[in-house]
Amino acid sequence: MENTLLIGLSRQVTLERQMDVIANNVANVNTNGFKADRSLFQEYLMPTAREDNFAPGRDRRLSHVLDRATFHDFAQGSPDQTKNPLDVAIKGDGFFVVQTPEGERYTRDGGFQINTQGQLVNASGFQVLGNNGPITFQQTDKQINIASDGTITVLEGTNRIDSIRAKLRIVNFSQPQRLRKEGSNLYSIGEGNAAQPDTKSTLAQGFIERSNVNAVTEMTRLIEVSRTYTQIASMLQQQHDLHRTAIDRLAEVPA
Amino acid sequence: MRAVITAATGMAAQELNVQVISNNIANLRTTGYKKQRAAFQDLIYDHVRRVGAQASDQGTILPVGVDLGGGVKTVGTPRLMGQGTLLPTGNELDIAIRGEGFFKIQMPDGTYAYTRDGSFMMDAQGRIVNAQGNPVQPTVTIPNNSSGLTINAQGQVSVTLPGSTTPTTVGQIGLTRFINKAGLKPIGDNLFQDTPASGAPQDGIANTDGFGDMQQSNLEQSNVEVVTEISDLIAAQRAYEMNAKVVSAADQMLQATSQMFR
Repeated sequence: MENTLLIGLSRQVTLERQMDVIANNVANVNTNGFKADRSLFQEYLMPTAREDNFAPGRDRRLSHVLDRATFHDFAQGSPDQTKNPLDVAIKGDGFFVVQTPEGERYTRDGGFQINTQGQLVNASGFQVLGNNGPITFQQTDKQINIASDGTITVLEGTNRIDSIRAKLRIVNFSQPQRLRKEGSNLYSIGEGNAAQPDTKSTLAQGFIERSNVNAVTEMTRLIEVSRTYTQIASMLQQQHDLHRTAIDRLAEVPA
Repeated sequence: MRAVITAATGMAAQELNVQVISNNIANLRTTGYKKQRAAFQDLIYDHVRRVGAQASDQGTILPVGVDLGGGVKTVGTPRLMGQGTLLPTGNELDIAIRGEGFFKIQMPDGTYAYTRDGSFMMDAQGRIVNAQGNPVQPTVTIPNNSSGLTINAQGQVSVTLPGSTTPTTVGQIGLTRFINKAGLKPIGDNLFQDTPASGAPQDGIANTDGFGDMQQSNLEQSNVEVVTEISDLIAAQRAYEMNAKVVSAADQMLQATSQMFR
């Protein structure tokens, strides 16, 4: 008898979560290297609670809604020219590798800095790793150049010829959907996933990859979620009214 | 509802973004100004259904999980230390640095500050000082009655003394560099102070060891590009509006809930 309420509620709970996902996407619309999340829902068949008052002789299962997953939309974000030599954008499926106290983490945010030890670090101060570990610059280095394959060269002191400093380590994943978002634009590797060297991605120096959140899509989804929620609320209201009327009518004692 | 708080973090971040952009635009014509930009990162995620968790005793694992993000945070407002364009001024005490390095200025309290603003003047003692009257280091004193002040690419200051036909070198303006220029602390008046993040100042001579060279009678303009700033401003404004939209949509949902079963 209360199935309408419960089914409606199951949808409302998932809509609230979908709203949370949209809110997070919109909040990160200007976060460099951010990848949007999407929600997936599935029908959840209630195995025990059955409705027996449909067509005669038929048992129908009830379908609730379950939010099965949020998945990452790894579409390329638009590159934005900053002309800053320490900004690098990845074109392709690759990720930069940074060393955190918890181990290696992966990021698409290529807004780098140099720390007091002359090492290349990300905005949180974690070392960006090259093929041979952290990348260190000398004090006399200038004109840092990052080639499309990640090779970093500099002009050292008064030299006229470039010196190679390191090569940025770019990796991709067999199952990118298993990457876990850790916050701070970082991803950690999930179970059953392996990082392998990426040779197909190309780098662009002086560019930064913007968030791939599509504002129009998010706004349409926002309206869709908000309206669906209201519709279900009004549907539940109608069901409630129906019950109340039924009780009132049935309980009326004839004079 | 979490969405309201998430959108609020987005609004706060965009507000800060507009603040940074407006400071850049306000300093469009400030000599030696280096633009800033706001860098954002996503907040910690709530892993409602952990990706890779065991889905059955057959060893199957969840290929995707349910991750709910908490919004956005500002991680820093790094300064972009790119070269500004040089503007010829004709003033003999205007110096622009082309390349690496900062002028070193001695503050009244004896500490040092650093600047890219080379619009210098002379004080009553003939010392080369900045606009606040603080001497450029090493202190260079221009003798009275001298003429033909020239500053070469290495920062050597030479003048022609009365009764002489050859120029005399009276001092050399030095430069200072930092391993992490973006880590300098701005203290206003176009000045920066060294911090643990910037590393220790390394004094040196212009046009040697990777230092930039000095250009007399030029000033380094701000490296702010109007087009970029305006487009960033529009993007920030729209992002703010969208976050506000999320708040009002979430509010509508809450309203629908509170009006159920009246």
